[in-house]
Formats: sequence, structure tokens, C-alpha cells
Amino acid sequence: MSALQQHWNEDQPIYRQLRDRLMEMILDRVIEEGDAMPSIRQISVELKINPITVTRAVQELEECGALEKRRGLGNFVKPGARDELLQQERKKFLKEDWPALRTKIERLQIPLETLLTPKPIR
Amino acid sequence: MSAVIEARALKKQYKGKFALNDCSFSIGKGRIVGLIGPNGAGKTTAIKAILGLTAVEGELRVLGLDPFKQREKLMEEVCFIADVAILPRWATAKDLIDYVEGTHAKFSRERCLDYLSDTDIKLSSRVGQLSKGMVVQLHLAMIMAIGAKLLVLDEPTLGLDILYRKRFYEQLLGDYYDGERTILITTHQVEEVEPLLNDVIFINRGKVALSETLDALAERYCNLTVDASRLEQAREFKPISEKRLLGKNQLLFDRADRDALKQLGDVAPPSLSELFVALLG
Repeated sequence: MSALQQHWNEDQPIYRQLRDRLMEMILDRVIEEGDAMPSIRQISVELKINPITVTRAVQELEECGALEKRRGLGNFVKPGARDELLQQERKKFLKEDWPALRTKIERLQIPLETLLTPKPIR
Repeated sequence: MSAVIEARALKKQYKGKFALNDCSFSIGKGRIVGLIGPNGAGKTTAIKAILGLTAVEGELRVLGLDPFKQREKLMEEVCFIADVAILPRWATAKDLIDYVEGTHAKFSRERCLDYLSDTDIKLSSRVGQLSKGMVVQLHLAMIMAIGAKLLVLDEPTLGLDILYRKRFYEQLLGDYYDGERTILITTHQVEEVEPLLNDVIFINRGKVALSETLDALAERYCNLTVDASRLEQAREFKPISEKRLLGKNQLLFDRADRDALKQLGDVAPPSLSELFVALLG
């Protein structure tokens, strides 16, 4: 990857990665419920990607029920969106990511206590 | 989708050698299109033909016009930035703006000055004193102030440092592109433009090797990374190319059964540069 497009990996299409990133912003409360989402153009210019790619990512978030369109004003994070996304993402994690992680933990024989040690404060 | 450029069976010979040989493609309105090919593939000849700078055999329509015969009319709606600086070194920014204002009906002086106000370029600066990046900025400011329907960029960022390249693409997307205008761009920096593009045209030996939307490419092609133990099984799906990656193998497939491949290893979309190497290498 060139330095200009350092944000993306090659495992997934860009719109998916962008969707995930927007989702994380909502989960981490960088964009709060009721807040306006950045505009398609803003995201496109900032990340230097085609506006259609951005539109797709945003559409997928709409389909998850996280956003609502207000006429003439753009997209807003729906009240309750964070809880909704949390539920969906937890399910997805347990179904798709956890089994592989679990296998790895078992293979490396990492004791449970080690995994539960509190995160050091940076 | 109405076509902004429609090219059918274009041919052009230089001293008995074909630069374009039965080259056909179509570019839709409002698209950002990458014209990509190795050196000597015919990109520059294709661009010259589109701009009416060279006569070609075959059928070519740009915004409904014959570029060679109706060049003057076409130039009201088409702008061009080339890798070789074509702005005269002795001219000041003001000279150039005065000139374009006098010759181009659609030029907006106000918008041009507005774009320049974000740069370090002064009206009294001579082109010869500006850095390469600033010359491109000046050129882009003038072009954006025309707001042409079609913008053709031939290696626009060649020789620019990363900061100027970033600014260039930001301006292109933020100030020029509006979803209605069309951009045709050739470059060897494929990774850099890939996220900007809607469509890609691979050109090789004067012919179009591939012309697709990026979405269609992502559906057609996929990369599979497999362990050596599964390599033979994977080969049965007839990959179009193979490479070794630190003990693993990466195979590229065209229209293969993805669900079946997923049983063998990791499936991911290939990048444009990988496709370029696989198809034209």
C-alpha cells in the first residue's frame, strides 16, 4: 500500500472497512446518538476515496438500523443505535471471531488468569 | 448511463507499428475511470485521440462530438493535465489567468483566485520559479475554474511529493468532482488511485484487455491463500495466476466458486496492481 492510502488492508473491500470504522466510531461514542454523521463528500475528500464507496458504507449502516435520514440534513445516528450495534457486533464476534481465537488460546495453553489480567494503563 | 466517450475499433499506426489496434471502450457520465497499462500500451495515443490531437481510424465520439474534426467545440467542455508541464515558464500566474479568461468562455476568474488563495502561489509568481507541485496546483486551479464536463489526467502526480499528491486528490474530489463530471486518469501509481475509481480499463498492445467497474472486478476475481498441502486441490479450480508467499501459495481466480475456495483457505479480493500483473505481466 502506498503512503497515501495507508488506511486500508487488502482483506476486505474498502466499503466494508469504512463501514466497520464508522461503526466503531459510534460504539466508542466518537459520534454520539443524535449526532450528524459526516457527509459523504467530507469522508470522500478526507480519505480520498470514491463517493460511491462511501455511500455504500453508509447505506450498510442504515440497513443495520443505526442511522436515520433527515431530509435535507443528511444522516444522523439513531437514538438506541449504539445498543443495537452492540448486540449485533457481540453476536457476530461470538459466531465468527471467537471460535478461532479460542482454538488459538487452547493451542498456546494460555491460562485463564493471564487473559483476565487487567489491561495496563498507558 | 449515457456515454461521455464511445470508442469503437480505434486504430493508429506509427511507422507500421500499431499504437492502437482495434481498441474499443466506453466511458459513462459521472464516472472516475482509470486507464491503466504498461509503458507503450497505447494510453497516450488513446488520450491524444480523445482530445482530438491525433486522427485515428475507427469510430470515436467524445461528448457526442468527433474530437479531431470538432476539436474547438469539444475544448469548451474538456480539460487536460499532462505529466509534462505545458505551462510556459516565462508566464506569471496573472498572465495565464488573463489568457484563459480571454479565451475560455466558461472560465471563472473569481473561482480560480479562490482556489489559489489556499496555496502559496502569488499572482506575480512566474511558472519558472514555482516548484513542480505548485505548477500542478496552478494548472488544477485554472482547470477547476472552468468546470469542464470531462477532465483528462495523464500521470498528473508524476514527480510530486506525497503532500502535494494528497492535496491534488483532495481538491479533485472536493472541488471538481460532483458526480456529474467525468474524470479519466492514467497513472502507474495504481494503488494510489484505486480507491478513487469507479471503473478501470486495462490496455495492452493497443487493445483493451479488460474494462469493468471496480465492483464487478471484486465479484469476478478473488485471491486464495492456501497451505502447500491444499495447493493441488486449489489448482483444480483453474487459477489464472499463482505466486509463492512465505511458505504459502496465493492463487488468483476468475469467476470461481468462492464458497468452495473458502473451504481451502483465505479468500480476499485482489488489488488492481495484482490484477495488472496477473493479466498483463
